[in-house]
Amino acid sequence: MLKFEDRSVELRPGETVLEALERAGIDAPSSCRSGNCQTCLHRAVEGVPPPESQVGLTQGQKALGFFLPCVCLPASPLTITRPDDVGARRDAVIRAIEPLAPDVIRLRVDADDFAYRPGQFLELVADGDLRRHYSLASHPEDDPFLEMHIRLHENGRMSRRLGEFKPGDRLHVAGPSGTCFYEGVHEDQRLLLIGAGTGLAPLYGVLRDALKRGHLGPIRLYHGARSRDGLYLDEELKALSRTWAHVDYRPCLLDPNAPAGGDVAATALHAEQDVKDSAIFLCGGENLVKRLKRDFFMRGVSMKNIRSDAFTPSG
Amino acid sequence: MSNLYERLGGENAVNAAVELFYRKVLADGRIARFFDGVDMDQQIAKQKSFLTMAFGGPNNYTGADMRNAHKRLVAKGLNDSHVDAVIENLNYTLRDLGVPEKEVKEVAAIANSVRDDVLNR
Repeated sequence: MLKFEDRSVELRPGETVLEALERAGIDAPSSCRSGNCQTCLHRAVEGVPPPESQVGLTQGQKALGFFLPCVCLPASPLTITRPDDVGARRDAVIRAIEPLAPDVIRLRVDADDFAYRPGQFLELVADGDLRRHYSLASHPEDDPFLEMHIRLHENGRMSRRLGEFKPGDRLHVAGPSGTCFYEGVHEDQRLLLIGAGTGLAPLYGVLRDALKRGHLGPIRLYHGARSRDGLYLDEELKALSRTWAHVDYRPCLLDPNAPAGGDVAATALHAEQDVKDSAIFLCGGENLVKRLKRDFFMRGVSMKNIRSDAFTPSG
Repeated sequence: MSNLYERLGGENAVNAAVELFYRKVLADGRIARFFDGVDMDQQIAKQKSFLTMAFGGPNNYTGADMRNAHKRLVAKGLNDSHVDAVIENLNYTLRDLGVPEKEVKEVAAIANSVRDDVLNR
């Protein structure tokens, strides 16, 4: 009835999943034990957790099977993992690797049976131990490959390694992870997507997914870059906004002379005063994401309507 | 006579209060710094948990949980004046939602009852 990873766990009648895990000696953190604080969060990878064990989670988390073991009395078999478990590594073969900008490459790899939502991220593994997280810009229904946009760092280990890779070379991928994807959005809701640098990759995935699912509300995408080269999907996005009347693309070049800072966060915060009912997606460096999340929340946007993915720098 | 949690409106009341309360706390210069660097999504869940407890709702917090959760903040200077500020913001939140004064006082009393655990003394 209950499995933790590949191990069977005895579940007694009337017992919660958390109690069963504890009795089996599995390290499972908890605090309020009444379904509020989310300390005990786990994920069901097989089976469907009862709805009362998903109260308070985001639509994205629910769609991925996350649940709260402290209030979970399973009605059907469940196989569960820790929330940050990325699962087994899968083989991947490089299909294409090419520059998008002087310091950004587009990497496309083929991997069998890798299910994901556009905007999620995966773990890319090279040489067995070199691991980095990259967001997915591809769409599983349209693209037979996984696409990542990767900023190269001069002395980064993965960056150097990527410089040597050629089509046909082998890598591994694990995941996907992350809840920054198109879920729980109303089709008429306004979408506001803001990203900087390769933060565009997940937003491009989300944008394409929204269009594919027939999103009707206005969509505005801000992409910030330090130089014109950094607006690396400028043509594709301009073409998209010509095709779709409700898509508005706002490229933002860093302007160090602007009074409020001149970055994409300052530009968007200045222009987006009436955001209360928008569904907001934020991707990029940690400072950018934290600042926008906080400021939009303080302007009255519910946390439920703010999805974000903050990149931590690592070469 | 129904209990406090039911009189306040249970889980719906917590949901109505949590973001209002969190905005007030973040806007309060006396205590905002204690929330620097925290993950806002996780913090919302913790605030919900705290409000459920303060509203007299179901929870299984132990004194040890409260102590552990705030140890880091006590080291950063958390003291009685900050607990006062949090309870004040809680009172304003409830008044904004039209909760009668009697219940506002009951909630404040429950919040106050964990003061010593929060301050690790």
